[in-house]
Amino acid sequence: MNGIVRLALALALIVPLGAAPLNAQPTFGPSKPGAGADTGKPAPGKVFRPSGSETAPPAAPPTSPPAAPAAAPALDWGNSQVDVAYAEPQDPQFRPIRDRLMRRQVLEQLRVFLSPLRLPRKLLVQTDQCNAERRPYQPGGPVTICYEYIAKVDRIAPRNQPADGLPREMMIAGAFVQAVLHEVAIATFDILEIPVWGRESDAADKLAGFIMVQFGKDVALKVMIGAAWFFDASERQWNESDFASEQSPEAQRFFNYLCIAFGADPASFKFLIDQNLLPVRRAQRCTSEFYALRFAFAKEILPHVDQQLMKRVQSATWLMLDEPK
Amino acid sequence: MRCLKIAAVLAVATAGVMAHGPESAAQPRQELAANSRVIIDYIDPRLQKSQATLDRLRKREVLEELSMFLSPLRLPRLLRVRTKSCGQVNAFYVPAEWAINLCYEYYENLEAIAPQTASPQGYTRDEVIVGGFIDAIFHELGHALFDILNIPVFGREEDAADQLSAFLMLQFGKDVARVTIKGAAFTYLMSKNPRTRTEFADEHGAPAQRFFNYICLAYGGEPAAFQDYVDRGVLPKARADQCPREYALVRRAFAKSLLPHIDVELMKKVQSIQWLRETDGRVTK
Repeated sequence: MNGIVRLALALALIVPLGAAPLNAQPTFGPSKPGAGADTGKPAPGKVFRPSGSETAPPAAPPTSPPAAPAAAPALDWGNSQVDVAYAEPQDPQFRPIRDRLMRRQVLEQLRVFLSPLRLPRKLLVQTDQCNAERRPYQPGGPVTICYEYIAKVDRIAPRNQPADGLPREMMIAGAFVQAVLHEVAIATFDILEIPVWGRESDAADKLAGFIMVQFGKDVALKVMIGAAWFFDASERQWNESDFASEQSPEAQRFFNYLCIAFGADPASFKFLIDQNLLPVRRAQRCTSEFYALRFAFAKEILPHVDQQLMKRVQSATWLMLDEPK
Repeated sequence: MRCLKIAAVLAVATAGVMAHGPESAAQPRQELAANSRVIIDYIDPRLQKSQATLDRLRKREVLEELSMFLSPLRLPRLLRVRTKSCGQVNAFYVPAEWAINLCYEYYENLEAIAPQTASPQGYTRDEVIVGGFIDAIFHELGHALFDILNIPVFGREEDAADQLSAFLMLQFGKDVARVTIKGAAFTYLMSKNPRTRTEFADEHGAPAQRFFNYICLAYGGEPAAFQDYVDRGVLPKARADQCPREYALVRRAFAKSLLPHIDVELMKKVQSIQWLRETDGRVTK
């Protein structure tokens, strides 16, 4: 991946005005030398407890602020097979969310992001009021992101973070990018008749995670950590019959995303192990899990991707969390 | 295929209940040759107590019949399948050796956990021993085939291997499906589910998730035979509604990634065979 791709789907665009620039300073950088050794167990409760004082800033050179961003994606690159719509919510409480999404042209940018994907039929991607957090994709149907889900993320993302904590925009962007790519992945499996071994929902998480780490370390850090952080913050307890769900528990999805991130780039994500966020026993498998995922992507998805367009998308500037407007 | 139970089943099967069953179900040896690329071996046990296990598996010709069961499969390399002492209750595929190890301890553990009479939830001893052991074989076969045939796996590979196992169990008619699926599912009822965060980091799904995955595929593939799981509320309706689609997804994955490596005529013959025997799962003197 040449060039720093700044990440994030237009999604990030849902970030409220005046948000602190994301490239400021994530708190979850690698531990100071030796700091990881004494942490016998993860802190109770939320994993991403902001604790800037205990952790050094990321060794990774934080990308310089996008003063002159690389090519921002031009909206006319959009995938002509993808239609987008912001459905009018019945409940007025969701109107500000819809307005924000529209103002930031989130779905229009998603069309651009998906431009390399060759689809044999039209796919509608919409935001809508679902009266649930999620409206599962049905074969032949649209992809729907529910206003209720976006509202939930807004609610969970902490508002009063210490200055050196993770910015709430990171969770908001990561959770949104994750949800959109997850749902689009399920639609893609259906439309392209991809053979999917393993539970479809886990497969969709893997494909979403794989795409999220194709835009450089900076983007990967923000989106993967943001998505994982959201799963962690959901803190739902799973009991007997909950396990009947076709969705996996948030705690499993949390580790799956971290494992993809670590497998893709062990050096940049080593702090996950140093800080005991990813148990060593699982971490040892992440590289081979990632190779298996890359192989599946190459064999099943890549034949449906226009590689020239993919390079263009990879070199564009995505996810400007601090974008004004 | 391990010793299977099913006596009554066979009678019924002969009556044409099995989906692909012939007029009178044939025995493997009359119809099928072994797959010459499947190398089988009953390795002497390390502990004397496992000698009886070995003797029974050998007498039942479990590995020989497995090789016949796999005869439609075109393998680009040799696959080894062996029974052995492992020092642990397990069955596992060893990629470096292209080998499936079926541990005597695993079989012996099934005998230990299987209820003497039907369990309160309606699982019988025969189902647990027969279904549990076939599941171990099919699950490891899944890992082996994903590896040897370079089959891409998008989801968790452990779930993928479970899916292949369940799918195979569902290709031999309702009666075989009931015995094998129930037996496989029972083994996951017996395990503890994760509670702490770290326990969720395992690359395997939670036992309860795996239980529901088996029952869901079974309900998706053979709705009538597993309707009781929905009626009794064991399989929640919200999941049950998704099961036909989940089964269709596995069938598609099988058709696209495995069928090209299978001789379909031979496969039909394999499906017409009566694999399970009345005495399977029981100690016969």
